[in-house]
Amino acid sequence: MKKTISALLSLLLAGVMAAGCGSGDNGSSEDGQNGGEKKVAISFWALNTGWEWLEPAVKDFENANPNIDVELTQYEVDPIKEALKVAASSKTLPDMWFTWGGTLGSFYPENGLTMDLTQIAKDHRWSEIYNKAAIDMSTYDGKVSGIPVHLNVLGMWYSKNVYDKLKLQAPKTFAEFESQLAALKNGGVVPLAFGSKGGWHTMRLTEQLIEHFAGPELHDKLNRLEASWNDPAVIKAFEKIQEYTDKGYFPKGYSSLDPTEAESLFYQEQAAMINEGTWFDGNIMENGFDPNNYDVFKFPNDQTPSRASVFAEMFQINGGSSPEKQEAAVKLGEYLTRPEVVNKYIEQYGSPATLNVNISEKTPHLKTLLDSAGDGAFLITDQALPQEVVQKLFEAQDKLAFHEWTPQQAAEAMDEAIAKYKSK
Amino acid sequence: MKIAPTRFDKGENRMTARALKPWLFLLPALTIYLIVIFVPSLYTFYLSFFKWNGVAADKVFVGLDNYADLILHDSVFARALKNNLLWTAGSLILMIGIGLMLALLLNKRIKGRIVFRGIFYFPYVLSGVIVATSWAWMYNPTQGFVNKLLETIGLESWTRAWLADPETALYAVFIAALWQGVGQPMVLFLAGLQTIPHDPYEAAVLDGAKPYQSFWYITFPLLRETLVIVVATTMIASMKVYDIIYAMTGGGPAESTQVLSSWMYYQTFKFANIGTGSAISFFLVLITMVVIIPYVYYTTKRSHL
Repeated sequence: MKKTISALLSLLLAGVMAAGCGSGDNGSSEDGQNGGEKKVAISFWALNTGWEWLEPAVKDFENANPNIDVELTQYEVDPIKEALKVAASSKTLPDMWFTWGGTLGSFYPENGLTMDLTQIAKDHRWSEIYNKAAIDMSTYDGKVSGIPVHLNVLGMWYSKNVYDKLKLQAPKTFAEFESQLAALKNGGVVPLAFGSKGGWHTMRLTEQLIEHFAGPELHDKLNRLEASWNDPAVIKAFEKIQEYTDKGYFPKGYSSLDPTEAESLFYQEQAAMINEGTWFDGNIMENGFDPNNYDVFKFPNDQTPSRASVFAEMFQINGGSSPEKQEAAVKLGEYLTRPEVVNKYIEQYGSPATLNVNISEKTPHLKTLLDSAGDGAFLITDQALPQEVVQKLFEAQDKLAFHEWTPQQAAEAMDEAIAKYKSK
Repeated sequence: MKIAPTRFDKGENRMTARALKPWLFLLPALTIYLIVIFVPSLYTFYLSFFKWNGVAADKVFVGLDNYADLILHDSVFARALKNNLLWTAGSLILMIGIGLMLALLLNKRIKGRIVFRGIFYFPYVLSGVIVATSWAWMYNPTQGFVNKLLETIGLESWTRAWLADPETALYAVFIAALWQGVGQPMVLFLAGLQTIPHDPYEAAVLDGAKPYQSFWYITFPLLRETLVIVVATTMIASMKVYDIIYAMTGGGPAESTQVLSSWMYYQTFKFANIGTGSAISFFLVLITMVVIIPYVYYTTKRSHL
């Protein structure tokens, strides 16, 4: 009798534990009925900072489409990159997600994880709705793989107060830019507000230095891995990173500073310049400051054409979701990027990929930056290069700052990383 | 013809049932362990022999290439391994040492000892990310508490960019981890100290023993079982440290604070090198097992229980 009870208890315990270990409902798979029309629930992952408009816009969408429920999850920059990779590996990608272009976003279409939107793009006439460059940057291997959201252009933002106090104006040449760095430093202000934790913030300066020394043609070849990075132009760019660090043009300890900490120095006018993009008016307002107290200039790389760094952002749709969820997700993505919605939230929206939208007075620098890409543009480096090579560039930036590597060694390390990547 | 069971047969059945009983009770936990830990670990080990991005249909068998690449060509792996060993040494000496000291202090009948126990244990219940964010701000080179304090007490020459200097970054993160983690060994040692009777101490005092002698000849030997658990858990935790390092420095600057867990994460989820990431995780398992298993076996054998 005792043995039987022991055995039964053990089995019961095992059963309860097994039931408890079963996967719960993740909230996005429930589809129900809504007054006869089948209700569809979709999961959507997007960014957090700078995307404050998204939640009310999604609510507007749900009100307009009562048969669609959207489970929105918002992340910061690095966490969403990691969450998507984890989800891809574990086959738990959401129905729709935000991603950047280039090699940050290519992983998903390259591995068959995204829905091919080419036919939808044709049928829905996306060429009349979205900027062509944005559609091109959302296309991989001939297939449109994302709904374009933003076309971002980067520039050097500066504090008007700081510049006025030191009687400076936006530089037109590289030599002028460098003389301003010295003037700012002598004036008691940190010239360059960069935080290198994660590497991508300082990279925005490094790529402009490479554009300056290498020129557009070589720069593009470097990013396509068609030219050696052990090149005098690259070495000179790396020398500048080292020189600017030694001269104290970056904040103290910038190698481990989070970009948001560098941004706070910029708002406090302890630092003069920061490299940010078309979304930055929104950041300034979000932090309680007036965008009119700041201005922006195209980095003076002395090249012809003088190109700006650009990147696109898009919504990708899960290729493995059911047709109903895919249809709902496409509907949501197109809704969030239609001119009426963009115009409604234009003050916070950032730089839309959508054509024919208004520009708000509260984002006075958006047009300036968009126009600055008129002469030409290059894809931002951390999207142009494979991620392992990008990581090596980030390592090189840090090691140059500490003189652990010479510029020559950094250039050689880049070539080694490229060779290793190509041998994969 | 049915033969009645003999006394010997009944004895044999009883013995079999007695031997099986513990396994029956272990079965649920064992099942979960096999499904959730053992089988995935075996699969990870299997993946370490392939080049695979985690989602592609085909995996390419490369044998021991992933392991060889790590040992022979990956300088970040070597750095990460060194950092893990430094972290483990620091944990074993400082986390356990300070935890033991606090436990000895808070085991005495001092006023407010319960409050102090709560204060010292509180950081342990915080998440690694919260601790990392708080300490990262404290280490801020221009606005952080640490440098401001040093300036205030006249030690301005000691101020530095703690997290930005490869020489100091790992140690700076370790101090934050120490602040967070010391509560756990303290609590375990406190529990162990509660089980030690007073009589040996009274006898020792009568024999003229000094406090350090009482500690060395009475307290320390009687804390042996607790020490085994504390050392084992501290060692395991130190080998798999990840969240506080990743949140404070991301493995930088210049990969100087990478540890095996964070480098495994980079390889697996940033670069989609599942095989390499799996190989790193197996190095971690191997190193931990090589150290922990003999230690626990040896010290348990020597236990007075």
